Amino acid sequence: MQDFDQARFDRLAAEYRYVITDMICRAGSGHLGGALSLVEIVITLYERVLRVDPQRPAWPERDRLVLSKGHGAPVLYLALAYHGFFPKAWLKTLNADGTRLPSHADARVVPGIDMTTGSLGQGLSAACGMALAARLNGQSHRVFCIIGDGESNEGQIWEAALFASHHRLDNLIAICDCNRLQIDGFTDDVLSLEPLADKWRAFGWETLEMNGHDWDDIHTTLQRAVALAGKPRMVIAHTVKGKGNRAIENKPESHNIKVPDQATYDRFMQALAVRDVTLPY
Amino acid sequence: MKYHELEMRAVYGETLNELIAANPNVMCLEADLSKASGTNPKVAAAYPANFVNVGVSEANMIGIAAGLAAEGKIPFCATFTCFAGRRVYDQVTISVAYANLNVKIVGTAPGITAGPNGGTHMCFQDLAIMRAMPNLHVYSPCDAYELRAVMRHMAACRQPTYMQLIRQRVGAIFDETCRFDPGRAVVLRPGAAVTLVSTGYMTHFALPVARDLAAAGIDVELLHYPSVKPFDVASLVRSAQKTGRVVSVENQSVIGGLGGAVCEVLAEHCPVPVRRLGVPDQFGEVASEPYLMEKHGFGPRHIAEACRRAVAGA
Repeated sequence: MQDFDQARFDRLAAEYRYVITDMICRAGSGHLGGALSLVEIVITLYERVLRVDPQRPAWPERDRLVLSKGHGAPVLYLALAYHGFFPKAWLKTLNADGTRLPSHADARVVPGIDMTTGSLGQGLSAACGMALAARLNGQSHRVFCIIGDGESNEGQIWEAALFASHHRLDNLIAICDCNRLQIDGFTDDVLSLEPLADKWRAFGWETLEMNGHDWDDIHTTLQRAVALAGKPRMVIAHTVKGKGNRAIENKPESHNIKVPDQATYDRFMQALAVRDVTLPY
Repeated sequence: MKYHELEMRAVYGETLNELIAANPNVMCLEADLSKASGTNPKVAAAYPANFVNVGVSEANMIGIAAGLAAEGKIPFCATFTCFAGRRVYDQVTISVAYANLNVKIVGTAPGITAGPNGGTHMCFQDLAIMRAMPNLHVYSPCDAYELRAVMRHMAACRQPTYMQLIRQRVGAIFDETCRFDPGRAVVLRPGAAVTLVSTGYMTHFALPVARDLAAAGIDVELLHYPSVKPFDVASLVRSAQKTGRVVSVENQSVIGGLGGAVCEVLAEHCPVPVRRLGVPDQFGEVASEPYLMEKHGFGPRHIAEACRRAVAGA
């Protein structure tokens, strides 16, 4: 676990955003908005919360992380590469022919990914199964699961919510990346979720909320969530889709950008708040 | 034990208990149909920690099973075929087959055996749609002894699998010595005049027909396929080369299931005339099994007639 150094973390977040934008632009298209909204959360998880070992990606006692919103995979790939799970050179192969880094999180080919996801709504059920297995095995690791607010339209999320609550899976900590946007527009316009926190509480989950871009709030809230017992936990993270890239920030078109030419590439790269970043590949 | 005197679902529950006793990682998952599957109270009472009832949420059951399998558990998930095959197709596709996780999906009351529940619950396409999925094996054991052999194989092999489970008592075709190899069809009766191919429930009807026809001078070779995928190509081709004519029969739609597999193989390796018996391109309805077999033309007399016509070249 790294000590917190705000300047270092700010720099890291800027670097993540720069590299993720480059990876996706290089690939020609991709889910940029929902990766950028998770940058501070994923950095905090890997720097300060998760017990994982890059030398032993299948270490039985590691904490699990299921990215149920599997299209956010680029940010996870970055964290895994930066923590030594695989060479940073892989990052530039996102979505390329024959790549080991496909658009959606893939446990079959990516060291450090715990569950293959991509069809929305399914990862939280898998996380429930993992949490149940840990309990049956007498293991003490935690299972983290990141879902999206748009993803929460899926009925299976709520099936899993009932299950986790019924079985009191208190080794399960879910985070909802609540960036208020889904493919077709703002969640409030497409399918209202509010009052979202009340819904999770009604489903029997300890429910916390945090600013998903505030280092202190993220760390404090996740620590509180981890420390609670007796119920599964839901941390609703208020985030901004496309955070840090002015070309797409809080815009519906941030979900899946198209980058057909150099001019578009330049536009997305120049829209980043920090640009003096050296690519790690 | 005379397992063939039990309902198949009782054999399923009994065998699961044996598998759990031998390997505590084996688990029994249900979605509020545990009594229908024969696991409650049998498994629920004997191994409560290995028994998980997720309620009426089949999609969630498959996802939970995937998570359990990712952690080394061996979950057997049972529900009616209409749900195990159709309802959770995407969950099985992504969380099980694509993710390549060791989940066993058990579709109970296949085809017309769902009779009293009627058309909504009658699934005629599970063999077809599950067969079309990469990474997934698809089995349809015909009796209690073969069911036990198949289940032992499923528990022992790290292989995403779909299995049809007939629920009722069906009598014996095999005995305790039954062994299962997914790569091998079983020649239940050797013959030279016509190849009859069956799987699962219909083997109970095909075998007496083959014997009766033999007694009447029509030398039927009966191939039983407990595994529809992988599909034993060599046995079918060898038989078709010998007989020159093939009839298939299944408790499924004629589109894409066993008959589909037979036609794919023969078209490429040994093009001979084929007659597929099963349900035509129609939904089911609430009705008795004899009524549905008669209506759709895949009962014993239709099997016999198809074999006779094949031999006559008609």
